[in-house]
Amino acid sequence: MYPNKHKQIVTALMEGKFITVDEFYFDILKDNQAFYLEFFKESFDFELKGTQEYFYLLSADTNENTSRDISIFFAIFCYELDKDGKNFIDELTFSEFHIDQIIEYFKNSGWSDIIKANKSLNSAENLKKLLGNTMTKRNIAKKHSDEKYTFTKAYKLFIEFARELINSEKNKANA
Amino acid sequence: MFKSEPKTILQFLATHFELLRELFDIQSKNEFITKSQVTNTLKDFGNDIEEQLFEHKLLIEQNDDYVINEPYYILFEFVLQQFKPLLPEEIEKFGQSIRELFKNIKESIDNDKNLLLARIEALSNEIKKFTTAVKNNTASLLNESRELKANTRKIEYQEKVHKARYLIDNYIIPLNNILDINHSQSIYNELDRISQYTNNRRFDYADELIRRQFEKLYNLLRQVIKDINQQSTILSNELLPLIERIKTESEYLQGFLLYLTNGNCYKTIKPPEIFNTSRDNLYSLYIYESTKLYFDQFKNEEEVIIDDNDNTILDQWIFNRSEYKNTLNENLPVKDFFSWCQDSIGNEKKDFSIDNYFMVTSLLFEKEYEVKFDKGSKAISVKTDQGELIMPKLELTKKEDVSK
Repeated sequence: MYPNKHKQIVTALMEGKFITVDEFYFDILKDNQAFYLEFFKESFDFELKGTQEYFYLLSADTNENTSRDISIFFAIFCYELDKDGKNFIDELTFSEFHIDQIIEYFKNSGWSDIIKANKSLNSAENLKKLLGNTMTKRNIAKKHSDEKYTFTKAYKLFIEFARELINSEKNKANA
Repeated sequence: MFKSEPKTILQFLATHFELLRELFDIQSKNEFITKSQVTNTLKDFGNDIEEQLFEHKLLIEQNDDYVINEPYYILFEFVLQQFKPLLPEEIEKFGQSIRELFKNIKESIDNDKNLLLARIEALSNEIKKFTTAVKNNTASLLNESRELKANTRKIEYQEKVHKARYLIDNYIIPLNNILDINHSQSIYNELDRISQYTNNRRFDYADELIRRQFEKLYNLLRQVIKDINQQSTILSNELLPLIERIKTESEYLQGFLLYLTNGNCYKTIKPPEIFNTSRDNLYSLYIYESTKLYFDQFKNEEEVIIDDNDNTILDQWIFNRSEYKNTLNENLPVKDFFSWCQDSIGNEKKDFSIDNYFMVTSLLFEKEYEVKFDKGSKAISVKTDQGELIMPKLELTKKEDVSK
Protein backbone atom coordinates (compact mmCIF):
# COMPACT_ATOMS: atom_id res chain seq x y z
CA MET A 1 0.00 0.00 0.00
CA TYR A 2 1.22 3.47 -0.81
CA PRO A 3 1.15 6.20 1.86
CA ASN A 4 -1.85 8.47 2.04
CA LYS A 5 -1.84 11.30 -0.57
CA HIS A 6 0.83 9.46 -2.52
CA LYS A 7 -0.36 10.81 -5.85
CA GLN A 8 -0.36 14.44 -4.68
CA ILE A 9 3.10 14.07 -3.11
CA VAL A 10 4.63 12.47 -6.20
CA THR A 11 2.94 14.89 -8.60
CA ALA A 12 4.02 17.94 -6.61
CA LEU A 13 7.64 16.84 -6.31
CA MET A 14 7.82 15.80 -9.96
CA GLU A 15 6.61 19.25 -10.94
CA GLY A 16 9.66 20.68 -9.18
CA LYS A 17 7.67 21.90 -6.18
CA PHE A 18 9.05 22.25 -2.71
CA ILE A 19 6.86 20.59 -0.11
CA THR A 20 7.17 22.85 2.90
CA VAL A 21 6.36 22.34 6.54
CA ASP A 22 3.12 24.35 6.38
CA GLU A 23 1.57 21.90 3.93
CA PHE A 24 -0.52 19.06 5.26
CA TYR A 25 1.29 16.36 3.31
CA PHE A 26 4.71 17.41 4.63
CA ASP A 27 4.16 15.17 7.66
CA ILE A 28 3.11 12.21 5.52
CA LEU A 29 6.25 12.65 3.46
CA LYS A 30 8.38 12.98 6.59
CA ASP A 31 6.89 9.90 8.20
CA ASN A 32 7.54 7.91 5.03
CA GLN A 33 10.85 9.50 4.14
CA ALA A 34 12.70 6.20 3.79
CA PHE A 35 10.01 4.85 1.48
CA TYR A 36 10.03 7.95 -0.74
CA LEU A 37 13.81 8.06 -0.87
CA GLU A 38 13.81 4.54 -2.28
CA PHE A 39 10.71 5.13 -4.39
CA PHE A 40 12.21 8.07 -6.28
CA LYS A 41 15.64 6.48 -6.51
CA GLU A 42 14.38 3.15 -7.85
CA SER A 43 11.62 4.51 -10.08
CA PHE A 44 13.30 7.53 -11.66
CA ASP A 45 16.83 7.77 -10.27
CA PHE A 46 15.90 11.04 -8.54
CA GLU A 47 17.18 12.09 -5.17
CA LEU A 48 14.75 13.24 -2.50
CA LYS A 49 16.31 15.96 -0.37
CA GLY A 50 14.80 17.01 2.91
CA THR A 51 15.32 19.37 5.84
CA GLN A 52 13.20 20.01 8.91
CA GLU A 53 11.27 22.56 6.89
CA TYR A 54 11.08 21.45 3.27
CA PHE A 55 11.49 18.56 0.84
CA TYR A 56 12.39 18.69 -2.83
CA LEU A 57 13.57 16.44 -5.63
CA LEU A 58 16.86 16.51 -7.46
CA SER A 59 17.48 15.13 -10.90
CA ALA A 60 20.87 14.38 -12.42
CA ASP A 61 20.65 17.60 -14.43
CA THR A 62 19.79 20.66 -12.38
CA ASN A 63 17.88 23.64 -13.70
CA GLU A 64 20.80 26.00 -13.26
CA ASN A 65 19.26 29.03 -14.96
CA THR A 66 16.14 29.09 -12.83
CA SER A 67 18.13 28.49 -9.68
CA ARG A 68 20.51 31.33 -10.56
CA ASP A 69 17.63 33.75 -11.16
CA ILE A 70 16.05 32.84 -7.83
CA SER A 71 19.38 33.05 -6.00
CA ILE A 72 20.10 36.50 -7.41
CA PHE A 73 16.54 37.55 -6.57
CA PHE A 74 16.97 36.59 -2.90
CA ALA A 75 20.50 38.02 -2.69
CA ILE A 76 19.39 41.46 -3.90
CA PHE A 77 16.07 41.41 -2.07
CA CYS A 78 17.67 40.54 1.30
CA TYR A 79 20.40 43.09 0.73
CA GLU A 80 17.84 45.82 0.05
CA LEU A 81 15.66 44.83 3.01
CA ASP A 82 18.70 45.02 5.27
CA LYS A 83 19.62 48.42 3.88
CA ASP A 84 16.08 49.53 4.62
CA GLY A 85 16.72 48.69 8.29
CA LYS A 86 14.62 45.54 8.16
CA ASN A 87 15.46 42.17 9.55
CA PHE A 88 15.35 40.24 6.29
CA ILE A 89 14.96 36.82 7.92
CA ASP A 90 11.91 38.00 9.87
CA GLU A 91 10.58 39.74 6.79
CA LEU A 92 10.91 36.66 4.59
CA THR A 93 9.38 34.49 7.29
CA PHE A 94 6.47 36.63 8.41
CA SER A 95 5.78 39.50 6.00
CA GLU A 96 3.50 39.88 3.04
CA PHE A 97 4.83 41.93 0.14
CA HIS A 98 2.87 43.71 -2.53
CA ILE A 99 4.44 43.11 -5.93
CA ASP A 100 4.92 46.88 -6.37
CA GLN A 101 6.91 46.98 -3.14
CA ILE A 102 9.26 44.27 -4.46
CA ILE A 103 9.54 46.00 -7.84
CA GLU A 104 10.39 49.24 -6.06
CA TYR A 105 13.24 47.60 -4.13
CA PHE A 106 14.73 46.31 -7.40
CA LYS A 107 14.21 49.62 -9.18
CA ASN A 108 16.13 51.53 -6.52
CA SER A 109 18.76 48.89 -5.92
CA GLY A 110 22.45 49.61 -6.17
CA TRP A 111 22.88 46.27 -8.00
CA SER A 112 21.50 47.73 -11.22
CA ASP A 113 24.18 46.13 -13.43
CA ILE A 114 23.27 42.65 -12.30
CA ILE A 115 19.55 43.39 -12.48
CA LYS A 116 19.86 44.74 -16.04
CA ALA A 117 21.81 41.66 -17.10
CA ASN A 118 19.21 39.24 -15.76
CA LYS A 119 16.22 38.48 -17.94
CA SER A 120 14.03 37.53 -15.00
CA LEU A 121 14.73 40.68 -13.03
CA ASN A 122 15.30 43.44 -15.56
CA SER A 123 11.73 44.71 -15.76
CA ALA A 124 8.61 44.91 -13.63
CA GLU A 125 6.88 42.45 -15.98
CA ASN A 126 9.69 39.91 -15.75
CA LEU A 127 9.85 40.21 -11.98
CA LYS A 128 6.12 39.55 -11.87
CA LYS A 129 6.66 36.46 -14.01
CA LEU A 130 9.49 35.21 -11.83
CA LEU A 131 7.40 35.54 -8.68
CA GLY A 132 3.97 34.74 -10.09
CA ASN A 133 5.00 31.84 -12.32
CA THR A 134 8.38 30.32 -11.59
CA MET A 135 8.56 30.81 -7.84
CA THR A 136 4.87 30.23 -7.20
CA LYS A 137 4.83 27.03 -9.29
CA ARG A 138 7.76 25.71 -7.30
CA ASN A 139 6.09 26.72 -4.02
CA ILE A 140 8.91 29.10 -3.09
CA ALA A 141 6.49 32.03 -3.12
CA LYS A 142 2.75 32.05 -2.51
CA LYS A 143 0.50 34.42 -4.39
CA HIS A 144 -2.38 35.94 -2.46
CA SER A 145 -5.19 38.23 -3.47
CA ASP A 146 -4.42 41.79 -4.48
CA GLU A 147 -1.00 40.86 -5.95
CA LYS A 148 0.53 40.17 -2.58
CA TYR A 149 3.16 37.53 -2.00
CA THR A 150 4.59 35.62 0.92
CA PHE A 151 7.54 33.27 0.89
CA THR A 152 7.53 29.65 1.99
CA LYS A 153 10.34 28.09 3.99
CA ALA A 154 11.91 27.04 0.67
CA TYR A 155 13.61 30.46 0.63
CA LYS A 156 16.06 28.99 3.10
CA LEU A 157 17.70 26.82 0.44
CA PHE A 158 18.81 30.00 -1.33
CA ILE A 159 19.95 31.96 1.68
CA GLU A 160 21.70 29.01 3.30
CA PHE A 161 23.54 28.66 0.01
CA ALA A 162 24.95 32.18 0.57
CA ARG A 163 26.06 31.33 4.09
CA GLU A 164 27.76 28.14 2.96
CA LEU A 165 29.45 30.13 0.22
CA ILE A 166 31.05 32.61 2.61
CA ASN A 167 31.98 29.93 5.13
CA SER A 168 33.72 27.82 2.51
CA GLU A 169 35.48 30.95 1.32
CA LYS A 170 36.65 31.66 4.89
CA ASN A 171 37.81 28.06 5.29
CA LYS A 172 39.75 28.33 2.06
CA ALA A 173 41.40 31.51 3.32
CA ASN A 174 42.31 29.84 6.62
CA ALA A 175 43.67 26.70 4.97
CA MET B 1 34.00 81.05 41.01
CA PHE B 2 30.76 81.53 39.13
CA LYS B 3 29.57 85.02 38.42
CA SER B 4 26.00 83.73 38.15
CA GLU B 5 23.64 82.28 40.69
CA PRO B 6 23.25 78.45 40.57
CA LYS B 7 19.54 78.85 39.89
CA THR B 8 20.30 81.12 36.93
CA ILE B 9 22.62 78.47 35.49
CA LEU B 10 20.01 75.75 35.82
CA GLN B 11 17.42 78.03 34.24
CA PHE B 12 19.86 78.70 31.39
CA LEU B 13 20.28 74.95 30.88
CA ALA B 14 16.51 74.47 30.71
CA THR B 15 15.90 77.44 28.36
CA HIS B 16 18.64 76.49 25.90
CA PHE B 17 18.43 72.74 26.31
CA GLU B 18 17.99 71.96 22.57
CA LEU B 19 21.02 74.02 21.62
CA LEU B 20 23.11 72.45 24.35
CA ARG B 21 21.97 69.01 23.29
CA GLU B 22 23.17 69.73 19.76
CA LEU B 23 26.59 70.65 21.15
CA PHE B 24 26.54 67.51 23.30
CA ASP B 25 25.80 65.36 20.21
CA ILE B 26 28.67 66.99 18.32
CA GLN B 27 31.08 66.26 21.13
CA SER B 28 29.80 62.71 21.58
CA LYS B 29 30.56 62.06 17.94
CA ASN B 30 33.83 63.97 17.53
CA GLU B 31 35.31 64.20 21.04
CA PHE B 32 35.45 68.00 20.76
CA ILE B 33 33.56 70.95 19.24
CA THR B 34 35.29 73.26 16.80
CA LYS B 35 34.88 77.03 16.99
CA SER B 36 32.98 77.08 13.71
CA GLN B 37 30.65 74.33 14.96
CA VAL B 38 29.82 76.47 17.99
CA THR B 39 29.18 79.51 15.77
CA ASN B 40 27.02 77.49 13.35
CA THR B 41 24.96 75.90 16.12
CA LEU B 42 24.31 79.29 17.70
CA LYS B 43 23.31 80.63 14.27
CA ASP B 44 20.98 77.64 13.66
CA PHE B 45 19.16 78.31 16.89
CA GLY B 46 19.21 82.09 16.33
CA ASN B 47 20.69 82.67 19.75
CA ASP B 48 23.39 85.03 20.83
CA ILE B 49 24.44 83.34 24.04
CA GLU B 50 28.10 82.58 23.31
CA GLU B 51 29.20 84.73 26.20
CA GLN B 52 26.99 82.93 28.73
CA LEU B 53 28.31 79.55 27.59
CA PHE B 54 31.71 80.57 28.89
CA GLU B 55 30.41 82.58 31.82
CA HIS B 56 28.57 79.52 33.18
CA LYS B 57 31.66 77.43 32.36
CA LEU B 58 29.61 75.22 30.09
CA LEU B 59 32.28 75.28 27.41
CA ILE B 60 35.97 75.26 28.09
CA GLU B 61 38.78 75.70 25.66
CA GLN B 62 40.89 72.78 24.62
CA ASN B 63 43.72 73.75 22.32
CA ASP B 64 41.96 75.62 19.51
CA ASP B 65 38.62 73.86 20.07
CA TYR B 66 36.05 73.53 22.80
CA VAL B 67 34.67 70.78 24.98
CA ILE B 68 31.68 70.71 27.31
CA ASN B 69 32.89 70.99 30.87
CA GLU B 70 32.95 67.46 32.35
CA PRO B 71 30.33 67.88 35.15
CA TYR B 72 27.87 69.21 32.56
CA TYR B 73 28.79 66.48 30.10
CA ILE B 74 28.08 63.82 32.74
CA LEU B 75 24.81 65.56 33.59
CA PHE B 76 23.77 65.48 29.92
CA GLU B 77 24.78 61.85 29.56
CA PHE B 78 22.67 61.07 32.59
CA VAL B 79 19.55 63.05 31.70
CA LEU B 80 19.67 61.90 28.07
CA GLN B 81 20.66 58.37 29.07
CA GLN B 82 23.20 58.48 26.30
CA PHE B 83 26.36 57.05 27.65
CA LYS B 84 29.43 56.45 25.70
CA PRO B 85 30.35 52.82 26.20
CA LEU B 86 33.37 52.42 28.43
CA LEU B 87 36.19 50.22 27.31
CA PRO B 88 36.66 47.15 29.48
CA GLU B 89 39.94 48.61 30.70
CA GLU B 90 38.04 51.62 32.02
CA ILE B 91 35.66 49.36 33.93
CA GLU B 92 38.45 47.03 35.02
CA LYS B 93 40.23 49.94 36.72
CA PHE B 94 37.33 50.01 39.23
CA GLY B 95 37.91 46.30 39.71
CA GLN B 96 41.56 46.90 40.45
CA SER B 97 40.90 49.62 43.02
CA ILE B 98 38.16 47.47 44.61
CA ARG B 99 40.58 44.52 44.90
CA GLU B 100 43.34 46.74 46.28
CA LEU B 101 41.12 48.40 48.89
CA PHE B 102 39.66 45.07 49.99
CA LYS B 103 43.15 43.60 50.33
CA ASN B 104 44.23 46.57 52.47
CA ILE B 105 41.12 46.35 54.63
CA LYS B 106 41.77 42.67 55.34
CA GLU B 107 45.46 43.15 56.02
CA SER B 108 45.13 46.12 58.36
CA ILE B 109 41.83 45.20 59.93
CA ASP B 110 43.14 45.65 63.46
CA ASN B 111 45.38 48.67 62.86
CA ASP B 112 44.39 52.29 62.53
CA LYS B 113 40.64 52.69 63.02
CA ASN B 114 40.35 55.95 61.07
CA LEU B 115 42.24 54.56 58.12
CA LEU B 116 39.99 51.51 58.14
CA LEU B 117 36.90 53.73 58.13
CA ALA B 118 38.29 55.78 55.24
CA ARG B 119 39.06 52.60 53.30
CA ILE B 120 35.57 51.17 53.85
CA GLU B 121 34.11 54.44 52.58
CA ALA B 122 36.45 54.50 49.60
CA LEU B 123 35.55 50.89 48.80
CA SER B 124 31.83 51.75 48.91
CA ASN B 125 32.43 54.66 46.53
CA GLU B 126 34.41 52.54 44.09
CA ILE B 127 31.72 49.85 44.14
CA LYS B 128 29.05 52.48 43.44
CA LYS B 129 31.10 53.90 40.56
CA PHE B 130 31.66 50.40 39.21
CA THR B 131 27.93 49.59 39.32
CA THR B 132 27.02 52.86 37.62
CA ALA B 133 29.64 52.24 34.94
CA VAL B 134 28.32 48.72 34.29
CA LYS B 135 24.70 49.88 34.17
CA ASN B 136 25.51 52.74 31.82
CA ASN B 137 27.61 50.49 29.66
CA THR B 138 24.95 47.83 29.30
CA ALA B 139 22.37 50.50 28.46
CA SER B 140 24.57 52.15 25.85
CA LEU B 141 25.63 48.85 24.29
CA LEU B 142 22.01 47.78 24.13
CA ASN B 143 21.12 51.02 22.39
CA GLU B 144 24.01 50.74 19.97
CA SER B 145 23.20 47.13 19.15
CA ARG B 146 19.50 47.80 18.66
CA GLU B 147 20.27 50.77 16.44
CA LEU B 148 22.69 48.67 14.49
CA LYS B 149 20.13 45.90 14.15
CA ALA B 150 17.43 48.26 12.95
CA ASN B 151 20.04 50.04 10.85
CA THR B 152 18.52 53.41 11.72
CA ARG B 153 21.54 55.19 10.29
CA LYS B 154 21.11 53.32 6.97
CA ILE B 155 24.72 52.30 6.88
CA GLU B 156 26.05 49.84 4.34
CA TYR B 157 26.26 46.37 5.64
CA GLN B 158 30.08 46.06 5.54
CA GLU B 159 30.24 48.95 7.96
CA LYS B 160 27.47 47.36 10.00
CA VAL B 161 29.35 44.07 10.22
CA HIS B 162 32.50 45.90 11.13
CA LYS B 163 30.71 47.83 13.85
CA ALA B 164 28.99 44.75 15.23
CA ARG B 165 32.27 42.87 15.39
CA TYR B 166 33.94 45.86 17.03
CA LEU B 167 31.22 46.03 19.71
CA ILE B 168 31.39 42.30 20.33
CA ASP B 169 35.15 42.03 20.57
CA ASN B 170 35.91 45.22 22.45
CA TYR B 171 32.92 45.79 24.67
CA ILE B 172 30.38 43.03 24.96
CA ILE B 173 32.56 39.95 25.46
CA PRO B 174 34.94 41.72 27.91
CA LEU B 175 31.95 43.10 29.84
CA ASN B 176 30.53 39.61 29.96
CA ASN B 177 33.82 38.35 31.40
CA ILE B 178 33.78 41.05 34.07
CA LEU B 179 30.28 40.01 35.12
CA ASP B 180 30.76 36.27 34.61
CA ILE B 181 29.75 34.34 37.73
CA ASN B 182 31.64 31.28 36.56
CA HIS B 183 34.93 33.10 36.13
CA SER B 184 36.85 33.07 39.45
CA GLN B 185 38.74 36.30 38.66
CA SER B 186 35.67 38.28 37.58
CA ILE B 187 34.76 41.43 39.50
CA TYR B 188 31.41 39.85 40.24
CA ASN B 189 33.11 37.09 42.22
CA GLU B 190 35.37 39.60 43.96
CA LEU B 191 32.27 41.49 45.11
CA ASP B 192 30.80 38.23 46.28
CA ARG B 193 33.91 37.56 48.40
CA ILE B 194 33.76 41.09 49.85
CA SER B 195 30.09 40.55 50.66
CA GLN B 196 30.88 37.36 52.61
CA TYR B 197 33.70 39.10 54.46
CA THR B 198 31.61 42.15 55.43
CA ASN B 199 28.77 39.89 56.46
CA ASN B 200 31.07 38.34 59.07
CA ARG B 201 32.62 41.61 60.12
CA ARG B 202 29.34 43.41 60.68
CA PHE B 203 28.82 41.06 63.63
CA ASP B 204 32.38 40.32 64.52
CA TYR B 205 34.28 43.54 65.21
CA ALA B 206 34.95 45.22 68.51
CA ASP B 207 34.21 48.81 67.45
CA GLU B 208 30.56 49.59 66.93
CA LEU B 209 31.12 52.42 64.44
CA ILE B 210 33.15 50.12 62.23
CA ARG B 211 30.58 47.35 62.60
CA ARG B 212 27.98 49.82 61.40
CA GLN B 213 30.15 50.77 58.39
CA PHE B 214 30.54 47.11 57.53
CA GLU B 215 26.77 46.75 57.84
CA LYS B 216 26.28 49.65 55.39
CA LEU B 217 28.81 48.18 52.99
CA TYR B 218 27.15 44.79 53.25
CA ASN B 219 23.73 46.25 52.42
CA LEU B 220 25.23 48.15 49.50
CA LEU B 221 26.84 44.97 48.21
CA ARG B 222 23.60 43.02 48.41
CA GLN B 223 21.96 45.61 46.18
CA VAL B 224 24.98 45.80 43.85
CA ILE B 225 25.14 42.03 43.38
CA LYS B 226 21.43 42.03 42.57
CA ASP B 227 21.94 44.88 40.06
CA ILE B 228 24.91 43.19 38.44
CA ASN B 229 23.00 39.97 38.12
CA GLN B 230 20.31 41.90 36.33
CA GLN B 231 22.87 43.48 33.99
CA SER B 232 24.38 40.08 33.36
CA THR B 233 20.93 38.74 32.49
CA ILE B 234 20.35 41.60 30.04
CA LEU B 235 23.72 40.86 28.54
CA SER B 236 23.16 37.14 28.10
CA ASN B 237 19.45 37.25 27.28
CA GLU B 238 19.30 40.24 25.04
CA LEU B 239 22.63 41.65 24.01
CA LEU B 240 24.51 38.48 23.14
CA PRO B 241 21.62 36.96 21.08
CA LEU B 242 21.11 40.32 19.37
CA ILE B 243 24.75 40.48 18.40
CA GLU B 244 24.72 36.81 17.43
CA ARG B 245 21.78 37.53 15.14
CA ILE B 246 23.63 40.45 13.53
CA LYS B 247 26.59 38.13 13.01
CA THR B 248 24.44 35.42 11.39
CA GLU B 249 22.67 37.89 9.17
CA SER B 250 25.97 39.37 8.19
CA GLU B 251 27.15 35.91 7.14
CA TYR B 252 24.20 35.64 4.77
CA LEU B 253 24.86 39.13 3.44
CA GLN B 254 28.54 38.49 3.01
CA GLY B 255 27.59 35.36 1.06
CA PHE B 256 25.20 37.33 -1.15
CA LEU B 257 27.87 39.94 -1.76
CA LEU B 258 30.38 37.29 -2.73
CA TYR B 259 27.81 35.77 -5.07
CA LEU B 260 26.80 39.02 -6.68
CA THR B 261 30.21 40.59 -7.09
CA ASN B 262 32.96 39.86 -9.60
CA GLY B 263 30.38 38.49 -12.01
CA ASN B 264 30.62 35.21 -10.16
CA CYS B 265 26.91 34.62 -10.11
CA TYR B 266 27.10 34.07 -13.85
CA LYS B 267 30.39 32.23 -14.02
CA THR B 268 32.24 30.31 -11.38
CA ILE B 269 29.70 29.89 -8.62
CA LYS B 270 26.98 27.34 -9.22
CA PRO B 271 23.61 28.11 -7.58
CA PRO B 272 21.87 25.50 -5.42
CA GLU B 273 20.66 22.48 -7.37
CA ILE B 274 16.94 22.34 -8.06
CA PHE B 275 14.80 19.83 -9.91
CA ASN B 276 14.73 20.04 -13.64
CA THR B 277 11.15 19.61 -14.75
CA SER B 278 11.93 18.19 -18.16
CA ARG B 279 9.26 17.84 -20.79
CA ASP B 280 10.29 14.24 -21.50
CA ASN B 281 7.66 11.59 -21.07
CA LEU B 282 8.09 9.32 -18.14
CA TYR B 283 7.60 6.34 -20.50
CA SER B 284 9.92 5.10 -23.25
CA LEU B 285 10.47 7.18 -26.36
CA TYR B 286 9.63 4.07 -28.44
CA ILE B 287 6.39 3.32 -26.64
CA TYR B 288 4.35 3.65 -29.86
CA GLU B 289 6.46 1.17 -31.83
CA SER B 290 6.65 -1.22 -28.91
CA THR B 291 2.89 -1.14 -28.36
CA LYS B 292 2.26 -1.65 -32.08
CA LEU B 293 4.61 -4.60 -32.11
CA TYR B 294 2.89 -6.09 -29.08
CA PHE B 295 -0.56 -5.94 -30.65
CA ASP B 296 0.69 -7.05 -34.09
CA GLN B 297 1.76 -10.38 -32.71
CA PHE B 298 -1.91 -11.25 -32.04
CA LYS B 299 -3.11 -10.21 -35.48
CA ASN B 300 -2.36 -13.43 -37.34
CA GLU B 301 -2.95 -15.79 -34.49
CA GLU B 302 -4.62 -19.08 -35.33
CA GLU B 303 -8.07 -19.74 -34.06
CA VAL B 304 -8.12 -21.76 -30.89
CA ILE B 305 -10.97 -24.19 -30.31
CA ILE B 306 -11.52 -25.54 -26.87
CA ASP B 307 -12.99 -29.01 -26.83
CA ASP B 308 -15.06 -29.64 -23.70
CA ASN B 309 -14.60 -33.38 -24.03
CA ASP B 310 -10.85 -33.18 -24.00
CA ASN B 311 -9.71 -34.78 -20.70
CA THR B 312 -6.03 -33.87 -21.06
CA ILE B 313 -6.26 -31.19 -18.40
CA LEU B 314 -8.01 -33.52 -15.97
CA ASP B 315 -5.31 -36.17 -16.47
CA GLN B 316 -2.57 -33.76 -15.56
CA TRP B 317 -0.46 -34.99 -12.68
CA ILE B 318 0.07 -32.53 -9.85
CA PHE B 319 3.07 -32.89 -7.59
CA ASN B 320 1.96 -32.99 -3.98
CA ARG B 321 5.17 -31.87 -2.38
CA SER B 322 4.21 -32.24 1.26
CA GLU B 323 2.88 -35.77 0.79
CA TYR B 324 6.07 -36.86 -0.98
CA LYS B 325 8.15 -35.20 1.67
CA ASN B 326 6.31 -37.04 4.44
CA THR B 327 6.87 -40.36 2.70
CA LEU B 328 10.54 -39.52 2.23
CA ASN B 329 10.89 -38.62 5.91
CA GLU B 330 9.33 -41.94 6.90
CA ASN B 331 11.80 -43.84 4.68
CA LEU B 332 14.94 -42.03 5.87
CA PRO B 333 17.75 -42.85 5.59
CA VAL B 334 17.40 -43.52 1.85
CA LYS B 335 20.44 -45.25 0.34
CA ASP B 336 19.65 -44.44 -3.26
CA PHE B 337 17.64 -41.23 -3.54
CA PHE B 338 17.05 -41.19 -7.31
CA SER B 339 15.82 -44.76 -7.35
CA TRP B 340 13.52 -43.94 -4.45
CA CYS B 341 12.08 -41.08 -6.48
CA GLN B 342 11.53 -43.40 -9.43
CA ASP B 343 9.75 -45.96 -7.26
CA SER B 344 7.62 -43.41 -5.47
CA ILE B 345 6.35 -41.65 -8.60
CA GLY B 346 6.04 -45.02 -10.40
CA ASN B 347 3.61 -46.20 -7.73
CA GLU B 348 1.37 -43.25 -8.38
CA LYS B 349 1.79 -42.74 -12.11
CA LYS B 350 3.33 -45.44 -14.23
CA ASP B 351 3.90 -43.34 -17.39
CA PHE B 352 5.52 -40.38 -15.63
CA SER B 353 7.45 -37.86 -17.70
CA ILE B 354 10.97 -36.55 -17.05
CA ASP B 355 9.41 -33.28 -15.91
CA ASN B 356 7.29 -35.17 -13.35
CA TYR B 357 10.39 -37.05 -12.20
CA PHE B 358 12.41 -33.87 -11.72
CA MET B 359 9.65 -32.36 -9.63
CA VAL B 360 10.06 -35.23 -7.17
CA THR B 361 13.86 -35.07 -7.23
CA SER B 362 13.69 -31.40 -6.23
CA LEU B 363 13.14 -32.69 -2.66
CA LEU B 364 16.91 -33.18 -2.64
CA PHE B 365 17.33 -29.43 -2.08
CA GLU B 366 15.27 -29.26 1.09
CA LYS B 367 17.40 -27.85 3.88
CA GLU B 368 16.81 -30.57 6.43
CA TYR B 369 18.48 -33.35 4.42
CA GLU B 370 22.10 -34.24 4.29
CA VAL B 371 23.33 -35.67 0.98
CA LYS B 372 26.22 -38.09 0.68
CA PHE B 373 27.79 -39.22 -2.54
CA ASP B 374 29.45 -42.61 -2.70
CA LYS B 375 32.28 -42.31 -5.22
CA GLY B 376 32.80 -46.08 -5.48
CA SER B 377 29.23 -46.99 -6.38
CA LYS B 378 27.86 -47.33 -9.89
CA ALA B 379 25.66 -44.76 -11.54
CA ILE B 380 21.99 -45.57 -11.68
CA SER B 381 19.67 -45.34 -14.67
CA VAL B 382 16.06 -44.17 -14.90
CA LYS B 383 14.16 -44.92 -18.07
CA THR B 384 11.02 -43.18 -19.27
CA ASP B 385 9.27 -42.95 -22.64
CA GLN B 386 11.19 -39.77 -23.29
CA GLY B 387 14.65 -41.20 -22.70
CA GLU B 388 17.12 -42.45 -20.13
CA LEU B 389 18.67 -40.52 -17.26
CA ILE B 390 22.05 -41.59 -15.85
CA MET B 391 22.52 -40.34 -12.30
CA PRO B 392 24.86 -40.83 -9.34
CA LYS B 393 23.86 -42.84 -6.33
CA LEU B 394 23.08 -40.44 -3.50
CA GLU B 395 22.38 -41.25 0.11
CA LEU B 396 19.94 -39.05 1.98
CA THR B 397 19.87 -38.73 5.77
CA LYS B 398 18.24 -36.35 8.21
CA LYS B 399 20.55 -33.44 8.99
CA GLU B 400 21.71 -33.14 12.59
CA ASP B 401 20.50 -29.92 14.12
CA VAL B 402 23.80 -28.06 14.60
CA SER B 403 22.35 -25.40 16.90
CA LYS B 404 21.43 -28.06 19.43
